Amino acid sequence: MGLLDTEAGKRRLLCVEIPAVERYNEGRDPDFKVQVMRGGSALTLRYRLKPCHNVYMLETRLHSGYPTVPPETRVVTPLRHCPHLLEGQTLCLWRQGSTRDSSRWDPAKFTCVFAIQAAWRWLACYEVWHETGEWPLPEAK
Amino acid sequence: MQTIFQVGAGSGGMVVLDLLCREPSVGRIALVEPDVYKSHNVHRHYFGNNEVGEPKADLAAKWVRQFRPDLDLVTLPFDLLDRERQGEIESAAAECDVGVCAVDNEAAKYHFDALMRMHRRPWTLGEVLSGGIGGWVHAFRPGEACYGCVASHLQRSVTTDNSPPPDYTNPGGPVETTIPASKAPISAIASLHATVTLGLLSGTAPEFTSLLMPLAKVDGLFAEALRVHKFRIPRSPECLICGEHATPAGEDLDVALDQALARLGHE
Repeated sequence: MGLLDTEAGKRRLLCVEIPAVERYNEGRDPDFKVQVMRGGSALTLRYRLKPCHNVYMLETRLHSGYPTVPPETRVVTPLRHCPHLLEGQTLCLWRQGSTRDSSRWDPAKFTCVFAIQAAWRWLACYEVWHETGEWPLPEAK
Repeated sequence: MQTIFQVGAGSGGMVVLDLLCREPSVGRIALVEPDVYKSHNVHRHYFGNNEVGEPKADLAAKWVRQFRPDLDLVTLPFDLLDRERQGEIESAAAECDVGVCAVDNEAAKYHFDALMRMHRRPWTLGEVLSGGIGGWVHAFRPGEACYGCVASHLQRSVTTDNSPPPDYTNPGGPVETTIPASKAPISAIASLHATVTLGLLSGTAPEFTSLLMPLAKVDGLFAEALRVHKFRIPRSPECLICGEHATPAGEDLDVALDQALARLGHE
């Protein structure tokens, strides 16, 4: 509740999330820096990733309930339909209760930059899948 | 006389409330419960079919007054996360001696944790595992591990029973994948929850942060039923939920945030 309209939410943004994004952007090619847009009670991160051969445009949305509610990432660049892709080209990244650290959103440990890194890993898998037909990571348990 | 701030009077929360209200030392309870009693609640609750349709907060108040007409029970029949009612919720949190969280959604647990930390109040949380195979009781004290530290440490490798009630009006709707618990395991975990809360009220801090009580033997999960596991989980210095940061307050915070967002909007 209240990322942009409670003291706790604003503090989280100012002290945790924004410094993490600024560190991510530091020294990065301007085309690959993260831009942050405010929209109602949510924030949207817009950025490009190039995991292997191709450049993809992405958006990660921090909803009003963030960080309790995990960030939601969608690929703006058109993709082929593939495993782990939800409606609206939203990436299936988190599984509640997963014992695998990288598949379980943990608001006490992760910042929105972790969602960017997770999206990078997802896109790398997508490119392997595109070439081989095999998703290189096992299903999250 | 002591004051309790409780959120949730569902099948587990009602048991906790019933046990706490019978303690003569408890003089005041503020209860947050927005839901209406429905027909599918009957087999796991204290109330009958003729109470279906009444607000759970009102039913809880009637129940408590049967045993403790002298107890000052304040019902707050709205959602803990309701933005418009945060003033009332914060007042209740500030006035309590101990907080009791008996809800099953993560956002509410984190919000309750934030309220209790803001007012430096101890609090307890009860969670029943899917199918009633066991449950957790957690005790939080000011300055120690927060809910974020505990949830992160435990990795939540088993999901709690947060399944919504069956929707009989929507037979073609999504099928539930978690198994609801029955009344006996819910009451067992809720009774432990009440006992731990009374310990905090009497100033006897439990030697654990989290207590796991398996109620059934489950292959690969619980080797034995009724063998309690206790965990003392430390506060994580890296926790992003309870970590302390020097920040401006009020309008200065808004200005600093606006400036930072404007900077990142034009990268």
